[in-house]
Amino acid sequence: MSVRHALLGLLAQRSRHGYELRAAFEALVGGEQNWDVKPAQIYTTLDRLEEAQLVEPQAVEQSGGPEKRIYGITTAGQAELDYWLASPTQPEHQRDEFFLKLMLALVIEGAQPRKVIQIQRGALYQVLHAITLQRNRADPKTALAQILYLDKVVMHLEADLRWLDMIEARLDDVRRQPLPEPEARPRGRPRKVTE
Amino acid sequence: MALIQTVDLTKVYGKGETAVMALDHVNLSVEAGEFVAVMGPSGCGKSTLLHLMGGLDRPTSGRVVLDGADLTKLDDTRLTEVRRRKIGFVFQFYNLIPVLNAVENAALPLTLDGRTPGDARVKAAQWLKLVGVDNRQANLPDQLSGGQQQRVAIARALVAEPTLILADEPTGNLDSRAGDEIARLLRQVADEWGRAVLMVTHDPRIAAYADRIVFLKDGRVVDETRLNAGTSQFAADIKEKVEAL
Repeated sequence: MSVRHALLGLLAQRSRHGYELRAAFEALVGGEQNWDVKPAQIYTTLDRLEEAQLVEPQAVEQSGGPEKRIYGITTAGQAELDYWLASPTQPEHQRDEFFLKLMLALVIEGAQPRKVIQIQRGALYQVLHAITLQRNRADPKTALAQILYLDKVVMHLEADLRWLDMIEARLDDVRRQPLPEPEARPRGRPRKVTE
Repeated sequence: MALIQTVDLTKVYGKGETAVMALDHVNLSVEAGEFVAVMGPSGCGKSTLLHLMGGLDRPTSGRVVLDGADLTKLDDTRLTEVRRRKIGFVFQFYNLIPVLNAVENAALPLTLDGRTPGDARVKAAQWLKLVGVDNRQANLPDQLSGGQQQRVAIARALVAEPTLILADEPTGNLDSRAGDEIARLLRQVADEWGRAVLMVTHDPRIAAYADRIVFLKDGRVVDETRLNAGTSQFAADIKEKVEAL
């Protein structure tokens, strides 16, 4: 629920309206190309936070266009934010869609796992190229946080690419092994053992 | 029009049953101002390819055409001349001469080509300034950091105003920060100075600086990825590959 907590954090910094929150979120992550949050998501998240009484509307700003509700964080919201800040974050490597794709390509007749690896590698390199250029354009005097964030992305992509090379080099070995099958467990109620 | 092009480039080491095909009909071209990375597992033929394209070795069959001239048809004297004037080399271990200072090292290709020492020094000093080691002109190689030595080596590669730069693992001996700086400099060599740059590397982060990556395996080009394409081109590339499945 990181967007939810990001909004709480931005409101703990100071009260803002939805449009300002979206702009502040975008600035935080170094642009929408890194983490795109649509306005609708901001507003629905705000509604949910308000329902949960973690934020509250404090004022309405009206200058020409449609009215803007200015939100602030509540005491409960501050407590939720403190709890979130003090909790560890789960790394996101557990569910790898590409891994599933590759494993299935290995066992489905006619699928080409080597090609699957090549396509993935090409795509990762394209992203790595774009991120590298973006990182090098960022000015360390004013955008250090963004640079460190992009460095993280670069390092993860690098690791993924090395992993692809490793898999490719051992693809024939992997192929010779059967796909892991579920353990055969008896279904239903265990049979009565009669002696 | 490609600046350098290989046509069915093939290199076989040894004879008969022990023959090893290091390169197997490789077709590759690099444009002026383009930065291309060559990747692949060790022993895939990366270095052989670089040596043949640089005229450091001769192929078993096939051609290397640089600026319209077939390198494989040149005699040794002419080939040496082409190497000195049209190709700049950058190596993993810099290959600087230990007893010459930075400016003398950078001036070497001109000195060897018969230019006056004064003239050669002026040109070398200009390139040292462009690659960012202006303040190290009088230092010997062992008084420089690895990154600085590689910058001097890049100045040496550029001093004769060659059209092609060949770099063999240019960041292989550097830490990641210095490696990044050298990759950025090679990018500049292509972007600002319009040279064709061909770089062999095994480092994904360094390869990501290139415009295109060519993957070699067992002496053959097995894949090629264009990195600088816009998203629409990217999508088209992927679509093409998926359809080829």
